[in-house]
Amino acid sequence: MIEVHRVSKVYSVGPVKVPALRGVSFRIAKGEFVVLTGASGAGKTTLLRLLYRDDLPTEGDIEVLGHDLVPMRRSQVAALRRSIGVVFQDAKLLPVRTVYENVAFVLRVLGTPRREITERVFDALRVVGMSSRAQAYPAQLSQGEAQRAALARAIVRRPPLLLADEPTGNLDESMAAEIIEALKDIGSGGTTIVLATHQARLAAALKRRTMTLAAGHVVKDEG
Amino acid sequence: MVGFLVGEALRDLRRAGRVAASAIVLITLSLAALGGFWLVSSNLDRAVARWRDRVRIVVYLRREPSSPDVAALVERVRTTPGVAAVTFVGKADALRGLKQVLGKDAGVVDQLPANPLPASLEVTPAAAAATPEGARELVARLAALPEADEVAGSVDWVEQLSHWQRLLTTIGLGVGAVLGLAAILTVTTATTLVLHARRHETEIMRLVGASEITIRLPLLLQGMMQGLVGAVLALGTLVLTYSLVAPRLEPLVNLTLGLSQLVFFTPVGVTALLGAGTLLGGLGGWLARAGREP
Repeated sequence: MIEVHRVSKVYSVGPVKVPALRGVSFRIAKGEFVVLTGASGAGKTTLLRLLYRDDLPTEGDIEVLGHDLVPMRRSQVAALRRSIGVVFQDAKLLPVRTVYENVAFVLRVLGTPRREITERVFDALRVVGMSSRAQAYPAQLSQGEAQRAALARAIVRRPPLLLADEPTGNLDESMAAEIIEALKDIGSGGTTIVLATHQARLAAALKRRTMTLAAGHVVKDEG
Repeated sequence: MVGFLVGEALRDLRRAGRVAASAIVLITLSLAALGGFWLVSSNLDRAVARWRDRVRIVVYLRREPSSPDVAALVERVRTTPGVAAVTFVGKADALRGLKQVLGKDAGVVDQLPANPLPASLEVTPAAAAATPEGARELVARLAALPEADEVAGSVDWVEQLSHWQRLLTTIGLGVGAVLGLAAILTVTTATTLVLHARRHETEIMRLVGASEITIRLPLLLQGMMQGLVGAVLALGTLVLTYSLVAPRLEPLVNLTLGLSQLVFFTPVGVTALLGAGTLLGGLGGWLARAGREP
């Protein structure tokens, strides 16, 4: 499903070279739920960005869902992303569209037939417990609800891989627990999930495979 | 999918607000200017073509030839280089023509002791001689005829008219091009603002794997919509101006240029104007660049 081989990423800030990842290698099998943890700046977000081909590694190879990401052309990137759901710390909901429209937007962009859209949107909203808030605008949602709406948007295409970058970072414990439960439900359906979080307690409570990053290295991979 | 793309384009158009309105106004001005000059130019072109066909050189004869000599003279002039046709006008014919022109004052002519009008040959120049230079050469050749007393006529003023027509076309294209360029830049600015306003949508679209064409097409469409609206407004302005001005101007144009009526665009011209507007807007929309990915 995911194979990362000796990947390094160095950012250039003017003349200064800032290494974000140093020789990272790992494999993630289909259907796994992997928690990526580590302090802020450890390289979690960089690693996730490389996995959905938002950036390129400075060195090394990455294979995701059978695609070799490094030599990929733009058109192939679009095809890859249709198989990946991504959730961020900020929900990135479109403020002038309702929850329903935000989730449906993804399907409309990809040319899904109109008759399928309603059914699939409500399926996704049901999974994250947001069916009753379908007509609400983002400004009317709590942070937890906004994040669950973002999660619905990420899974509405039923992608085989879901990447979640600090989805609970802005939430209190009870809201974070709701998101984690939703992720577990999604994972139980066979979706491969990579969850990045700096919250060590949350990572420990999940009792899933946990990879710990520190200064761009994978320092621990257990579970 | 088409519904989605058009819907997004309309949403983008609303977002661009006043800048989009400015772009539409500029497109309207540029196409109205271009169309206005085009209309004047095409009507002048008609006048030039008509007058080129009507150009006559008149050879006034020293004396009226006898009937048998007329045919020989006409044949000799007809074979002169640069001559397309020749008509003999006898003294009596000339007098009849003058009476017709004088209309109710024709009685004045009857007071004359004798017919003062000379016999003449009306010469139609061949196409090659219907230029100022060709006409001058033909006049010189006809003046050399021993029967010729005086030769009148040239195509200078027709060429002058043609010159004005070309000048108007050039000015029209120049003004249209400058305003058109300004319109493209304004549409580009409007689209850049739209790009900024829709950056979240674009980010989401890229994230979920939308094709580049799906991302860019609404921008192109909203530019084309601005162009089309501008073109329709320009066309409306021209129709209104034509319907107000043409009836008032036609008597004068008929008297001076010999055109009984001023013509408006043909369906092809209307389509070209609308197409030009759509193209201008589309170009502006396409030129606005979205951020690039690795």
